[in-house]
Amino acid sequence: MKGFSKLLALIALLGATAATSAEENDVELIVSKANHVAFYQGNDGRAESRMLITDGGGNRQVRQFTILRKDHSGPDDADQDFLVRFSRPSDVRNTMFRVIKHIGNSDDRWLYLPGLDLVKRISSGDKRTSFVGSHFFYEDISGRSLGADQHELLENTDQYYVVKNTPLDPTSVEFAFYTVWIDKQNWMPTKTEYTDNAGKIYRRIEALEVKDIDGFATATRMKASDLRSGGSTLTEMRYISYDIGLPDEVFSERSLRNPPQQWFKRK
Amino acid sequence: MALPRLIPLFVVALVLVTLALGLPSTFAENLKATADTSANTDEWGDDDWGEEEDKQSPFSGFIEIAYGTRTKSNPWVDRNDTLNEARLRLEYSDYFGQLYIGYKGDFTVDDLTWDGPFIDTKTREALVRFSPSENSDLYLGRQVLTWGTGDLLFLNDLFPKDWVSFFAGREMEYLKAPSDALKFSYFNQLANIDLVWTPKFDSDTFIRGERFSYFSPLANDTVAAPPRLSTEEPGSKLDEGELALRVYKNINGNEWALYGYHGYFKTPVAFNPKNGLNYFPKLSSLGASVRGTVQGGIGNMEVVWYQSEDDSDGSDPFIPNSQLRFLSGFERELVTRLTLSLQYYVEWTQDYSALKKYSPLPDKEPEEYRHLITTRLNYRAYQDKLTLSLFVFYSPTDDDYFAMPKVTYRLSDTWSSEIGMHLFGGKDDYTFFGQFEENSSFFARLRYSF
Repeated sequence: MKGFSKLLALIALLGATAATSAEENDVELIVSKANHVAFYQGNDGRAESRMLITDGGGNRQVRQFTILRKDHSGPDDADQDFLVRFSRPSDVRNTMFRVIKHIGNSDDRWLYLPGLDLVKRISSGDKRTSFVGSHFFYEDISGRSLGADQHELLENTDQYYVVKNTPLDPTSVEFAFYTVWIDKQNWMPTKTEYTDNAGKIYRRIEALEVKDIDGFATATRMKASDLRSGGSTLTEMRYISYDIGLPDEVFSERSLRNPPQQWFKRK
Repeated sequence: MALPRLIPLFVVALVLVTLALGLPSTFAENLKATADTSANTDEWGDDDWGEEEDKQSPFSGFIEIAYGTRTKSNPWVDRNDTLNEARLRLEYSDYFGQLYIGYKGDFTVDDLTWDGPFIDTKTREALVRFSPSENSDLYLGRQVLTWGTGDLLFLNDLFPKDWVSFFAGREMEYLKAPSDALKFSYFNQLANIDLVWTPKFDSDTFIRGERFSYFSPLANDTVAAPPRLSTEEPGSKLDEGELALRVYKNINGNEWALYGYHGYFKTPVAFNPKNGLNYFPKLSSLGASVRGTVQGGIGNMEVVWYQSEDDSDGSDPFIPNSQLRFLSGFERELVTRLTLSLQYYVEWTQDYSALKKYSPLPDKEPEEYRHLITTRLNYRAYQDKLTLSLFVFYSPTDDDYFAMPKVTYRLSDTWSSEIGMHLFGGKDDYTFFGQFEENSSFFARLRYSF
């Protein structure tokens, strides 16, 4: 009995320590919580997304797709499976995209082209390039490794933690650093600004609307802006659900040719 | 012929009809979008999530015009144009419960077809798909089938190709011709299995002299139609079809596969001296492949044994010998948005001394080991709207090449275009690519998708 209360005390102490650390602005804890909220809500999930891409000249394009996600068992906030099915525009209709995201290693990516019945494996390459022609990068969609940057708490306002992120390997990225505003209410990164070597902010990502879905804070409306060209992409997410019990088998070559209706179909 | 004059008319009519059907909604969408760009309302301007009908329209397609012409005149073919057509593609795909139904049809006015109706109708897909059990899928009907790891080199993929479309510069999709087949897929922990039965042999659409001249070993010269190369088809009895098998598994990120095929060579590479016709000799094959991440890129290896069933000792000069074919490839992003792919490929002809001994043209036979190197450079720019690519085949043993520079531009979600060149050349006029030197061409395509 004595041992048990000791244990309780220890747990309480640990909890208190964690809370104090957060209050003391433990920046590592802040960024990992924000990373969790942005990319790892629930064990799995489904969402429909559409993007309105506007280039500097005002020309518009649309992308619409359904995305399934499942976190791998093992360490928290690490590897994930993604399966994406495009429905618009018509020239990419039924194109499938499969990704296994590996933390600390290059991702596995496959593209399925239904016109050729071709499962093409693609080299993961630079993660800071456009996702399907939008102003979002692959890294904005699937997350950037926390270990890739050095984090520094710039400001602690009533509403936000403002964190400066400086790349450990500056040659691997196009920015000098980026600044993230993390909402204290729900740990959502609501604004990210990228600064170039000349000290100029050239790129911005904003969460324009955050909703509570199944108890998880979710950015349902996001905008990526290229401040140099004036172009931007607006993304909306709808029909979102978490912890739907996606089986591992869904993330397979079979699903590229035969997308599982049970999970892709809007409920 | 009155046909060429009708084509522009037909195209204009098609485009007008499409615009008439498509413009009002696009126009309204743009107007509305412009009106409330600053507002947080629906900037897409319509109910495109499809909430009311609960799903997208099952119909789509495109209209395309395509033109291609030789870089220089061909002494064996009168016409200089190699592609001159307007095409309407209609697609339908939908689910009925667990049953998937897919249809793709091409309606083409082709100024270069020799015979056939004014509007050529080709069904590209007429497919039903369902899962007979939790771990199996059945695909029934006309369908495009692909497997294997090569980039424009097919070892274990013995599904039909359309070389005429490919040479002429139609969209890459048309390189793969459809099969009328039944595909059964079975999935389990040990390994996944695909079994494809094509009851009636589907040959490649091969070069037979209509648009493109070729080297004929029988004539010992470059030839073209007329007469076009005529062939003797395999019969349509149940045992005269094709069977193809793939067993595959992903082990630690590496994709392993074993393949088997029993059927016929896909082009009429054999000759029957009795009736003077070319034919498709019997072929069986066994092969394997692996693909995975290597050195920050994708590496692949594939091997196949072609057993020439009717000429197992290589002594018949009119039937190809057995071969071992091997491929190794690597692809990697060199710098952001610029990707380089390299492939090395070799064909090792068996019983080579017998081949040389009995061949009527021993000096024009390919070498025992025919080596081939391919290079692909791909560069994307302007939000992926512009793609520049260059693909080159080069054979050091044949001393010939085939180069394909291409520029693809996506003007919008509906309009896209591609221009390119197909350049063949070589030291001799009888080698694999060298024989097509006079068929080098430019091509351009403009497509409206809906």
